[in-house]
Amino acid sequence: MANENKNNSSYRVYVFVFFSVLLLALSVWVVWDDEFGLRPWKKYQEDYKALKQDKLEKDYRRAVVDFQRAGGHKKLAELEAKLSKAEAAFQSKENQDKYTKLNSQFEAAHDVLTKSQKELRDLRGQFLETEYYYTKTQQPEYKAKMDVLQRSIDAVGLRVAAQQKVEESIKGSLSALTAGTAGIRAEIENMKNGLEEKKEKIANNGKFPIEIKQIHIKDIDKADRCQSCHIGIDGKSQVSNKQPFTRHPASFVYLDHHDPAKFGCTFCHRGQGRATTSAEKAHGNVKHWDEPMLQGDMTQTSCLNCHGDIKNLRGAESIIKSTELIKKYGCYSCHKIPGYETVGDVGPVLTQVGTKVNYSWAINWLLDPKKYFATARMPKFYFTQDQAESIADYLFSMSGTTRHDVDNTKNKPDAKLIEEGKALWAQSRCNLCHATGGRGGNNTKVYAPDLSKVGSKVNKEWMFNWIKNPNAYFPGTKMPRFRFTDEQINSLVAYITTEYQDEEAEYKYVQPAEIKPASIAKGKDLIQKYGCYGCHKLQGMEDMVQVAPSLKKQGVTFLRNTEMREKIGMELSSIGSKPVEMLDFGKLKKAIPNDRLSYIKQKLRDPRGYRLGLRMPNFRLAESEINELASVLYGFTDANVPTRFLVPSRQELDRMAGVSSYKFTGDFAKVIADVKCTNCHSIRGIGADYAPDLSIAGSKLQEGWIRNFLANPDVIRPLLQQMPKLGLTSGKPPAKVTMPKFNLGKQKVEDTNRSDVDVVINFFQQELVTSDIPKVLPQLKGTTQDELIAKGKQLYDLKGCKACHQVGTDGGALGPNLTNVGNRLTQGFIFKHLENARKFKPDIVEPNYGFTEAERIYLTNFLMTLKLSAK
Amino acid sequence: MKSLNDITGSVKKNLIWKSIFRRDYRNTVRDRAQAVFGNVFLHLHPVQVRESAVKLRFTWGMGGITFFAFIILVITGVVLMFYYHPSIDQAYTDIKDLEFQVPFGVILRNLHRWGAHFMVIVVMIHMFRVFMTGSYKAPRQFNWGIGVILLVMTFLLSFTGYLTPWDQLGFWAITVGTNMGAATPLLGYQGPFSEYLHITPYNDVRFALLGGAQVGGNALLRSYIWHCVAIPLFATILMFVHFWRVRKDGGISKPQK
Repeated sequence: MANENKNNSSYRVYVFVFFSVLLLALSVWVVWDDEFGLRPWKKYQEDYKALKQDKLEKDYRRAVVDFQRAGGHKKLAELEAKLSKAEAAFQSKENQDKYTKLNSQFEAAHDVLTKSQKELRDLRGQFLETEYYYTKTQQPEYKAKMDVLQRSIDAVGLRVAAQQKVEESIKGSLSALTAGTAGIRAEIENMKNGLEEKKEKIANNGKFPIEIKQIHIKDIDKADRCQSCHIGIDGKSQVSNKQPFTRHPASFVYLDHHDPAKFGCTFCHRGQGRATTSAEKAHGNVKHWDEPMLQGDMTQTSCLNCHGDIKNLRGAESIIKSTELIKKYGCYSCHKIPGYETVGDVGPVLTQVGTKVNYSWAINWLLDPKKYFATARMPKFYFTQDQAESIADYLFSMSGTTRHDVDNTKNKPDAKLIEEGKALWAQSRCNLCHATGGRGGNNTKVYAPDLSKVGSKVNKEWMFNWIKNPNAYFPGTKMPRFRFTDEQINSLVAYITTEYQDEEAEYKYVQPAEIKPASIAKGKDLIQKYGCYGCHKLQGMEDMVQVAPSLKKQGVTFLRNTEMREKIGMELSSIGSKPVEMLDFGKLKKAIPNDRLSYIKQKLRDPRGYRLGLRMPNFRLAESEINELASVLYGFTDANVPTRFLVPSRQELDRMAGVSSYKFTGDFAKVIADVKCTNCHSIRGIGADYAPDLSIAGSKLQEGWIRNFLANPDVIRPLLQQMPKLGLTSGKPPAKVTMPKFNLGKQKVEDTNRSDVDVVINFFQQELVTSDIPKVLPQLKGTTQDELIAKGKQLYDLKGCKACHQVGTDGGALGPNLTNVGNRLTQGFIFKHLENARKFKPDIVEPNYGFTEAERIYLTNFLMTLKLSAK
Repeated sequence: MKSLNDITGSVKKNLIWKSIFRRDYRNTVRDRAQAVFGNVFLHLHPVQVRESAVKLRFTWGMGGITFFAFIILVITGVVLMFYYHPSIDQAYTDIKDLEFQVPFGVILRNLHRWGAHFMVIVVMIHMFRVFMTGSYKAPRQFNWGIGVILLVMTFLLSFTGYLTPWDQLGFWAITVGTNMGAATPLLGYQGPFSEYLHITPYNDVRFALLGGAQVGGNALLRSYIWHCVAIPLFATILMFVHFWRVRKDGGISKPQK
């Protein structure tokens, strides 16, 4: 029947043929695509192999040329000639006879020795057996047998030793006979070795299989196939500068400490490690993959995954710098961020703010903090005039004051007082922390306010009390208590309030005005809504907490327990791994790329932009700051981290070990709470890196010098501190820095009878010492003190110390001035410092000269004579 | 030529050949019919079909195409099972590996996925055609009923297969789908009258579907087993009934005339 349809189906044949051909073509394409199209890494590996082949061959050719240029082939020919001569000599009848004779002697001696050794083993076995029976039965017969055996063991032992000697001597004469040829052979081998190795490398490269390279981290089931394309990433040398063949940049920091076989790639770089079909897919730059690959400095965000403490972490410079911003802007005040639970309030105490500032100033500040000074950290909340007044009304009423302004330009103090104040301002180095008129404020980590317009902000009484004792108004402030007399403070207040005035300041309430209760209530609501208490301590809101939505549902409206305190903002502990579909892009869904990083950056740029009703204020960050902050936030993840990767911080380790972290105790704690040494200095891991670390200052410095320095600080390292940074790194060049004069020694420490300077000295000598630094120098016999000093002086001149160090007016200014070093440093410190300068200060520029102990003693003795006599 | 005939003749006399094909074949009406009903796979099919019934214009061939899609899905599905673990840690990466690593994994998975979509569409067109041509009428009422159940089976296969890649799409689809179950009267904890049966989130129909109160590892395992074993088994049995009844109810439907 099939044949009957033949006449009307001719067009169907063409259709059939067409589709058959199409199907065949498709099948061929599927096979081709599966083999090559979807496996681009095969081509990369072939290319890499070819590149490496080129490089190895070039290496080999160069080595050959070098070899020949150095006369290698000539030498080789010589050696070979020598070898054949030696071999001929060895083949001579006389030598051959000797050789066979020695050989047979050796074999005979060896046989005898083996027999004796076997005998010895047997005897030892018997002895052990007998000993076993003896210990079990305590029969004296066994004891007797043991003695007999012991005697024969000794005898045979002696025999074995003698036979061994015989064998050795025969062996010696044998090798002497063949030494000539063997030596030459080894030499030839040695010469050829370098070239042979290179040749072998070339051969091995050809055998290198083309295959998927996968790293599997078992405990988190991560499979990274990145190396299938980035085949040279952990190579010993750079094969090509072209991607994907390059070596990992700075691999001595990253790969050396994070073995790729153990850590993989995506653990730090993210991306889609399993993908191998295209670069876009592998790098995660495709739709529905939430983790695009991190590149460059951005990768450092991953350090936060494992490193509990990134301070001083090599290779994490960018993220360390960025992390400062979290502290600077106090993100943790409103958001829960792991690791920042115990950091203090970022804003000043406002409990008595009504007694401090002008009402008009407060309104302007609330409206726009940056208008008062450009570096203000307080964000803009977009308050209306009305709202700002309500908030100020609440704050002022809580301080027990009314709306009032004080115009400090009235009642000008006399010029002499101002002059005195100005001198005191300079002497106390106020500008070290506080900027005025765009200058100063070099210690950026204390975030001291710009004082350019402070005269229009605060009243004189408050300023007087503040300088007298900052802790009274703001416990825990970073402002130190300078031990000024009342007269000094008066002059300083007079200078500041007249010098630093805002010409545009308004004083609307010179005539005080009452505050309306309705406004106060409204202010309180606003403060609660925007969470001012997150950064500032406020009166009447010390216990103010935000009730978690989950608790609110259960009817809880107020919490006193600070443990249960929920921050006003969203928790940020895992923002860096939050699924993108859970981020609310709101109005900007179509305006910005829908990925996590863009979301975070846009949020920082315009915190209320996504939709109406958002409360986060605008910090008006620079674009660079936005990038830095975003990179930190991106690192807060709930990534699955194997515990073996974790590097806990020192505090965590201490906690785990049940050790409490270092804390200042006793009278020194009282002094430091006042003088705030740790604003600039670091002591036992506490404090900043702005000024020298004082952790071993007690061993390093002499008591008398400390006393003098505290009374009259001077620059120690002149040029280093002044040297401009030449724009090589970002940041302002530091001005010439000296320590402020804190006027220690004039007052007693609270509740004690001791002078504060004595307490400081005592603490230095009791606590800040290390057993690494000896109190006295090792003695050198037979040399007098004068000889030691003379030799030290010679060495000082010989090594060119004065290129950097100055003594009197002679010498360079890169290193510390040594004119008075004999009074400043302890001899033990100098002695140890000369041994290895980096031991106590890792970033020091002083070279290591590799002095011997004696040389160090000479130099120390010489340096200790450099003393400035008291004037 | 003669030798070729000799060879075929001797092969056909062979015991093995005879045991498979039982009798000699001559191109006659009787032998052709014999070939169909003597074969276990073909005997469901009618021996003779009217020419008007195979007009593409009338049947659209949708039933056959649906069965064809089903066969493709079974074959690709079985191969996919070799590469897939129904556990929440591995399911998604297994799918990713199919895309990146498994030889012919891309075509395999896409055949299965697009084939599934294709089958759902085609089976609905089949139903539409049957309805529009009135082919559900007597004597085919019973087979229409079987067909409706098979349609539901197809949808359930599609639904349960949706979760297996363990991606966001499947996760939320199953969440929404089973939440609908939670609103079933009497049997779902959110449904009306469920309180009379003491139904809670932990003993309702949703719990039975998910093997828990949330979409998790148990839900994945359950949907996997429904998808790969239980539903295909039911569907296959019903398909045989369906084909059998097509024949018994008077053959494939044809234009009235």
